[in-house]
Amino acid sequence: MNNVRALPDSVLAFCHIGNWRKDKTSQDADLLPLGAPNVDSRLHGGLMRNALHEVFAAQGEDVAPASAFALLLALRLHLPGQRIFWVAEEKQDRTTGRIYPPGLAGLGADPAHMVIVRTVSMLDALRAAADIIRSKAASAVILEAHGSAKMIDLTSSRRLALAAADAGALALLVRGDATPMPSAASSRWQVRSAPSEPLAANAPGFPAFDISLLRHRGGIHPFEARIMWDHEQRIFHDAPLSGGLSAIVSGGKADPGTRASA
Amino acid sequence: MRLVACDAAALALGLAPGLTLADARARVPELLAFDHDPHADRLLLAWLANGCERYTPGCAVDPPQGLILDITGCTHLFEGDEIALAVDLQRRLRRHGFTARTALGATPDSARAKARFGVSAIGDLPVEALDMDAGTHQALRRSGLRYIGDLANRPCQPLAARFGKACTLKLARLLEEEDPHITPRRVPPVIRVERNFAEPVARTEHVLAVIGQLADESAEILRERGKGGRRFEVSLFRSDGHVARLAVDTGTPTRDSALLDRLIRERIDTLADPLDPGFGYDMIRLAVPVAEALANTQMGLETKVDTKAANAALIDRLSVRLGTERVRHFHSHESHIPERAVAERAALSGPPTGEWPKPETGEPPPRPFRLFDPPQPIDVTAEIPDGPPHQFRWRRKLHQVTRYEGPERIAAEWWRHKGGYELGGGGLTRDYYRVEDNEGRRFWVFRHGLYGQEKADPGWYLHGLFA
Repeated sequence: MNNVRALPDSVLAFCHIGNWRKDKTSQDADLLPLGAPNVDSRLHGGLMRNALHEVFAAQGEDVAPASAFALLLALRLHLPGQRIFWVAEEKQDRTTGRIYPPGLAGLGADPAHMVIVRTVSMLDALRAAADIIRSKAASAVILEAHGSAKMIDLTSSRRLALAAADAGALALLVRGDATPMPSAASSRWQVRSAPSEPLAANAPGFPAFDISLLRHRGGIHPFEARIMWDHEQRIFHDAPLSGGLSAIVSGGKADPGTRASA
Repeated sequence: MRLVACDAAALALGLAPGLTLADARARVPELLAFDHDPHADRLLLAWLANGCERYTPGCAVDPPQGLILDITGCTHLFEGDEIALAVDLQRRLRRHGFTARTALGATPDSARAKARFGVSAIGDLPVEALDMDAGTHQALRRSGLRYIGDLANRPCQPLAARFGKACTLKLARLLEEEDPHITPRRVPPVIRVERNFAEPVARTEHVLAVIGQLADESAEILRERGKGGRRFEVSLFRSDGHVARLAVDTGTPTRDSALLDRLIRERIDTLADPLDPGFGYDMIRLAVPVAEALANTQMGLETKVDTKAANAALIDRLSVRLGTERVRHFHSHESHIPERAVAERAALSGPPTGEWPKPETGEPPPRPFRLFDPPQPIDVTAEIPDGPPHQFRWRRKLHQVTRYEGPERIAAEWWRHKGGYELGGGGLTRDYYRVEDNEGRRFWVFRHGLYGQEKADPGWYLHGLFA
C-alpha cells in the first residue's frame, strides 16, 4: 500500500507506515483517478494502477456495462502506443455478444489499439493474461470470465495481482453471472446499468453506471455511486444532482446515500 | 487385374509389372499379391524424401518409386565424396528394409536413367531411357539404334525431324548437355544452419540447447545480411529416418535469438503429441524460409523498453501458444450492415486497417458496445406495427421501454442480389431503435422488414448491448 495519500486517521491503520513518506508525485502516479470527484474522493485519489481489480456484473444482463466499465478504466489509463488486450473464452460470444469496434470507437477508444485474444479454455485465458501482464507491452489487460469459473481462485488471482504489481500493468477481471469469492484483487466492484440522462425527445443518453465498491484492500469502506462516461474527455462524471428526474422516470434504485454525499 | 510392381524375387521368377494376376498365379501358384495403394505409396515416398532432406534441401520425388536429390555442394560431410554419400543413403535405406539403386549423374535425367536401368555409363543405356512413347522406342530399335551411345554420335537434325524436338531435348538431358534442374519439394530456405552428431541426442534439454546455438548462428547470418526472419523451421532428423518439423511465425522480421529460442520452446511445449526422440536425433537443422529486410538499430545507452518490439514479441508468443487465429486485430470493412462492417483477422497477418467512425460531439455512442452475431430474436409489443417497441421479451425476461431513439433505417445491400432494386428484392430493410428499459439497460433492437411493404408481420431482433 505505498500509494495512499492524505488518509484520514481511521484508515491509516491499514497502511504500511514505511512507505508513506514517498514522494507525493510518485504516489499520484500510482493512482488512477476515475475523474468523478465524488468517487475519487472516496477512493482517496483513485484506483491503484499496478494492480488487479475485479468487476462483477450485478446480473446476467449487466455483462455489457460491467465489461464497458472495465474498458473505460483501461481507457482512463491508456498511454500512447500501448495496446489494450482483451482476453476471453471463445464460447462466450454467443451468450454475451462479441466486442463491437464501432461501439468501442463511440466510447472514445481506438479499436486499432485493441488486441483480442480468444482462448479455448479458462486455463489458457489465465495463462495468456499473466503473460501479457508480464510482457510490459500492454497498458491494460481485461480478462473476461462467465459463470462459476473454477479456475479463477485465490491462487490464480494472486498470480495475476503479483504480475500486475511487478510489471506495472492494470489488470481487470470482468465476471459475469458469478458470485464473489475470496481473491487477491485490489478492489472489487459491482456494476449495473443506470438510467441515462435523457436527451431531446426522450432519447437514451450517455452511458451511465451504478457502481458499488464491494471490497477494497486499502480498507476503504464500501460505497455506491452513479457515474456517467464522457467519451470526448475520456473521463467519468458524477451523475448530476438534478438526476432525480431519471430516478423518477426509471423507478429504479436511485441511491439516496450516493446522492446525499455527492 | 494386373501386377503393378514386383519385388526382386518375383522379377527373378520371370514376373513383371503389367502381367495379369491370373497369368502370374498360373506361373507361380504360391504368389503373394497385395492390393495396389497409390496413396500409401506416395506417402511413403514423401516420408523417404523427408528423411533424405538431411543430405540436401533440394529433394524431389519422382513417382512412382524414385527420389532425386540435388547434392551439388552438399557433400562436405562426406569429405566431398559423392559416392560416400550414396553409400550412406543406401545403408540407411537398407536398415528400413528398402532395396534401392543409387546412381550419380550431372543432370537429373541422367542420374535417373542410370538408376532405373542399373547402368553406370550413359552410352550403355537402352533407348527406353529416353522415356518417350513405346512407338518411338520401337522405331529407334528397328533402325538399329539400341543404345543411347548409338544416338549420341549422330547429328540431331534428322532425329528431331523424325521423332520431334522432345526427343533431342531428352537426349541432351540424358547426355548431360543440358541441366533442367529439379523442382524441390520445399523452397530452399534463405538460411540453413545445422548440426550433425556422432551419437544421437535424445534428451530434450540437449536438443533445446542445440536449437539455441543454431538460433544464435542464424541470427548472426541474418545480421550480416541485414535481414530478419519471418518464419523459422526446425527439423529434427531422428536416427531411424523420421523427421519432426516445428515452425514458428513472427509478426515482424526478427533476428533476436533469445526471442526465437523462447518461441521455439513455446512451440515444443504446446505440441499436441510431445516430441518423441526415440533413439535420438542425429541431426538438427534450423532453416529460415522467409526473410525480410531489417535494418540495424542503434542500442540506446539507457535501457528503455521498446513497447513496439515488446508488443510484436508478445503477439508472436501468444500466436505460437494459442494458435495464430486466436490473437486478432479489428479491421474495418466498407459496409453499412453492422455485422459486416467489422472483420477480425489474425494479428500476425498485419497491423489493423481501416477507419472507424469518430464519436460525435454531444451525442451518445450510436453503436452498441457488444454485438450479437447472429442477432437474437425477441418478442416485441409495439403500439403501432411500424412504430417503436413498447416492451419486449428477451431471454424470458420482460423489458419495459422507457426511452427510445429511432428508427435508423439500414437498407439491405440490394446490389448483391439479382433484381435487388425492386422493393424487398435485395433483402429486408432493418429499422434500428436505440432503447432503454426501466432498469436503465440500453439495447439495440431492430425490426426486420418494412411493415406492410416487405413483410406482413416483421420479426424483431436484439442486435447489441450498449454500455
